[in-house]
Amino acid sequence: MIKVEALKKQFDDLTVLESIDFSVKKGEVVCLIGPSGSGKTTLLRCLNLLEIPNNGTISISNKTVVFDKKAPTKKEMLALRSFSGMVFQGFHLFPHKTVIENIIEAPLTVKKKKKLELINEGEQLLEKVGMFEHRNKYPDALSGGQQQRAAIARALMMEPEVMLFDEPTSALDPQLVREVLKVIEKLAKEGQTMVIVTHEMNFARRIADRVLFMDNGYIIEEGPANEVLEQPKEKRTKQFLQLLDDTE
Amino acid sequence: MIEWFNQIQWEYLYDPELAWNSVPVLLEGLKITMIIAFFSMFFALILGILIGIMSMSKLLFLRMPAKIYISFMRGTPLLVFLFILYYGIPVLGVEFRSPIVAAIVGMSMNFAAYNAEVIRSAIMSVPRGQWEASASLQMGYIQTLRRIIIPQATRIALPPTFNIFMDIIKGTSLASIITVQELLYSSRLVAGRTFDSMTMYITAAIIYWIVCIILGYFQDRLEKRYNRYLSVR
Repeated sequence: MIKVEALKKQFDDLTVLESIDFSVKKGEVVCLIGPSGSGKTTLLRCLNLLEIPNNGTISISNKTVVFDKKAPTKKEMLALRSFSGMVFQGFHLFPHKTVIENIIEAPLTVKKKKKLELINEGEQLLEKVGMFEHRNKYPDALSGGQQQRAAIARALMMEPEVMLFDEPTSALDPQLVREVLKVIEKLAKEGQTMVIVTHEMNFARRIADRVLFMDNGYIIEEGPANEVLEQPKEKRTKQFLQLLDDTE
Repeated sequence: MIEWFNQIQWEYLYDPELAWNSVPVLLEGLKITMIIAFFSMFFALILGILIGIMSMSKLLFLRMPAKIYISFMRGTPLLVFLFILYYGIPVLGVEFRSPIVAAIVGMSMNFAAYNAEVIRSAIMSVPRGQWEASASLQMGYIQTLRRIIIPQATRIALPPTFNIFMDIIKGTSLASIITVQELLYSSRLVAGRTFDSMTMYITAAIIYWIVCIILGYFQDRLEKRYNRYLSVR
């Protein structure tokens, strides 16, 4: 489903990602973990082309885009992006639109679908994420957990092949984390392909088919969740997990 | 204190009868004032949106002219600009049909620069996440601007834009200097005939104020409308 080869990303002189290779199979859930500044968020944003890589290749579904000195065309990048949906740490719902307006906005204006059908579709999706009763509220009237669940529905409305989550629960109050993670687990059970940047190790252990540990712009270690999280091979992975244990 | 108050000869400062009698003449002037103000607001806003968006462009050939325009218009007095337009342009062989047109053109061009800056800052104050969310949903630049960014920027731009609108209404008084017979010109006309300038200036001031109060009422209503999605908890 996803194949990334020799991906490199620099911000001016700072190299954030260095020779990244990994792949995700259809229906697989992959969690990216690692200390802050390790490049995991940048990697995720590269998959959605919110950051343009300097070098390398990204394939999602049947679309392959090569990045080098000559940037790929807008059309190519849009095509690649259309296969992934993004959920942000800060939700980024449109504050001037109600929940239902938020989630039908893109299919309405980008895919030019019929509004009535979309409302129907949208209400079903809101039901699934437990947001149906809030469909006519503005984001400002919702809790963080509710906003994030609406944001997940908004991304799903575009029917992406892959869902990308950038620390979906990091901006939430502790008691709201569960309701969001439950929605993500529900999607996993349905076979949705997902890449999740997270600091919730227990969640990663439960949900991930595979875990990638990143540090300093490199993928240091990857493997099945229980292997990487329980018996890490690399020293840096051990240190990182040890540090997390200490703080808990 | 009371003595001082009692010995003021109020009729020298303000003569209500003269003020009342001059209202028809002043309303004629106000009509011109409102025409200039209305068209100037309209064109200054349209031009301001255009230049504001240009000034944020990544493309130098769009950004540079916008920046220079804003710098020049903000950096020169409106009155000087009106003089140049009204007395200078005819030298080039183009003549304004009437000084009213010159005033509208001059005020529109000048205040567009201020509008452009307001619009630039309003658009920039919409969080970057809104652009990113729109992009990740495959929305294009124009679409994002029109449906996501501008509605939010409008809320932020409203108060400063109405500041500019009020400046425009008051700024129309400068047009009297290029012989436009607007409100201030009319009051000076009466003042010249009756030798009672104070009454006329105060009356003119009150009329400007009333117009701005009405404008302020519209600002209030618009702000309420654009704030309705906030803090409804």
